[in-house]
Amino acid sequence: MEGNLVNVLIYGLVNSAVLMLTSLGFSLTFGLSGVANFAHGGLYLFTGYITWMFLHYLGLPFLPAALFSIVIVGLIGTVIYRLILMPVRGIVLSEVIATFAVGVAILEFFRWRGFVTYEFNLPSFVKGSITIAGVNVDYQRLFIIAIGIGLAVFLWIFSHYTKTGLALRGMAQDEYTALSLGIESDWAAGLSMALGSALAAVAALAILPLGLISINIGYDVLLVALAVTVLGGLESTVGLMVASLLLGYAVIITGTYLSPHWMEVVYLAAIVLGLAIKPSGLFGKFKELEERV
Amino acid sequence: MKRKTLISVTLAFVAVFLISAAGCGKQATTPEKTAEKAVQPIVLGVPTALGSIEGADSLRAVQLAVEEINAKGGVSVGGVKRPFEVVSIDTREHEPGIPAHDALAALEKLITEKKPNAIVVGAFRSEILLSSMDLISRYKIPYICTIAMSPEFEKKLEGNYEKYKYMFRMCLNSPYFVDNLTKAMEFTEKKFSFKKVYFINQDVLWAKATADALEKWARDNGWEVVGHDAYPTGASDFSSSLNKAKAGGAQLLMPIFDMPQSGVLVKQARTMKVPALIVGHISPMGPGTAWETFEGEVEGMVHFIHEIGPMPVKAVPRSVEFNENYGKKYGEELRLKLSGHGPGPSYDAVYALAGAIERAGSLDPDAIVAALEKTDMDGVIGKIKFNRNHQVIYGVNPKETAISFAFQWKAPGVRVPVFPEVAAEVEIELPPYMKK
Repeated sequence: MEGNLVNVLIYGLVNSAVLMLTSLGFSLTFGLSGVANFAHGGLYLFTGYITWMFLHYLGLPFLPAALFSIVIVGLIGTVIYRLILMPVRGIVLSEVIATFAVGVAILEFFRWRGFVTYEFNLPSFVKGSITIAGVNVDYQRLFIIAIGIGLAVFLWIFSHYTKTGLALRGMAQDEYTALSLGIESDWAAGLSMALGSALAAVAALAILPLGLISINIGYDVLLVALAVTVLGGLESTVGLMVASLLLGYAVIITGTYLSPHWMEVVYLAAIVLGLAIKPSGLFGKFKELEERV
Repeated sequence: MKRKTLISVTLAFVAVFLISAAGCGKQATTPEKTAEKAVQPIVLGVPTALGSIEGADSLRAVQLAVEEINAKGGVSVGGVKRPFEVVSIDTREHEPGIPAHDALAALEKLITEKKPNAIVVGAFRSEILLSSMDLISRYKIPYICTIAMSPEFEKKLEGNYEKYKYMFRMCLNSPYFVDNLTKAMEFTEKKFSFKKVYFINQDVLWAKATADALEKWARDNGWEVVGHDAYPTGASDFSSSLNKAKAGGAQLLMPIFDMPQSGVLVKQARTMKVPALIVGHISPMGPGTAWETFEGEVEGMVHFIHEIGPMPVKAVPRSVEFNENYGKKYGEELRLKLSGHGPGPSYDAVYALAGAIERAGSLDPDAIVAALEKTDMDGVIGKIKFNRNHQVIYGVNPKETAISFAFQWKAPGVRVPVFPEVAAEVEIELPPYMKK
């Protein structure tokens, strides 16, 4: 029983970090520009496959392969905005449908091209594990925790204390006021798409070494990102962290004390309950006033 | 300028259209085509999850068998040699969230549009196999399933033979699989004095049926079942079960999975230093490339492949021949990645059908069914004979029955056959992390 508790504490934290890292890009893009990038899962998986190709077809070492992938995926984010989102900018439903279609197209392209076998994986940063309070945890999971926390802190500082970050947030809060102050809407949205996509790439590079790269992961990533951001508040970094912790622990507790069978249901329940009880999320601000009215 | 471009494009389009129309006309009147038209091919339908590894490998195995048979002139139907023609459709049933009726709609589309004379490979999921039985009985098409494993298939067939007699199963079913795994459990009990086991399965019909039957057998035979968990398709964190297995002192970990994410389980078990021998079925552990993919962390795992096919077994000469021919046609890389479930029986299913059609002397489905029931041939999977419920009989002697097969991963990345005795090169050994 005690062993279970320590395991829940440690793996709950690991799981929370995985969720936070997975959702960071999705949440950031919405928080900075109001664009809901439903191609997030597709870009996540795209990173896995192109990094694998850089490693196996071009023989690049992991670090340059990873950096190239992050840059390429970031650029793709901008291209998606310029080519697909700009014509429908401001029509939320069209933005969602367009980005979702792009995500599905990416995922199904890889399925069509036969990327379904079992050899696709990325190497761990460092192999091996350590024992914490009697529970073994591998270094890769510790890296995930460190990267997740590091990025969340960096992004919070970026969006609150840099001119670019403040400009982006201003655009998300009130586009017309921001425009009147000289902040260009398309520049802001394109940049936030690039940043969010690059973050999806970082998440993929850190998390995919835990297992294999398979198409369905792309869909799962989108579900997780939605659950975390809906629960935490679509534009809130603090909300993202709190929601990741809540969901991360809820999933592990469910698996340990109820049944692993119900672990996936936790995400769906979070979306449904979150929307039903507090549609703006735990720390969401944008819709709060509307809800009160 | 624009006008000129428009005229050029229009002219080019007309030219292409005329050339293709002329080509079509010429093609239609060639003597070869006329001769081909006279000899109608025997259409083999392959409706399965083509995006899955098992489905894709099975389709390749079918195409290989068809190519071999066609190279010899085809199948003699009432004295006329007719070639096989393969038509396939992707049912996508292996993907999470694809409802059964979508897979059934794909099957019916293939039947109504391509009008196959017989179906091979068929359903990937048992849920789809069982629900497609009524559809097949309506269209009366001989159908040899080579992937879905639930024993409910035989129960359903036994309950209404006349209705469901068109369906056969060439692959291993769950009870045979359970039987093989219990033999492995008996071996570990005898050799290593193991008595504590933990079952983890994917929450799909075949895996659940297998793990439930194993648990019952374990309890009936004095084993302590430390735990038994089911994970939904797509799950990728197994720390809850592994922690409980470690805390409960499980000596044997028996996973039953066919999803790509299940590969995480073995890596996570090593990370968490669970001191248990892993014996079972995790699809990503089957290919010859798994050692490299999982950075050597598969060492010691005993992986049961359902049927012979992905590795040549000397005691079964057809399996050696199949591996050689598969490697020649598709390349050594694809041969090494062959799935442990599907390809062997899919290849054999085409030969069994060819034999049955020749014996029946016609494409009448009832005549083919009657001939299939009398099948007695040496295949890739061993001796092929159907029982009265149209399931190929599996055992441990390939001269008498089809056989299943298990290997253990050993350094420096080789798959060493350990089961059954007739094919084993060594006995199951404890992995390095369990040796004191």
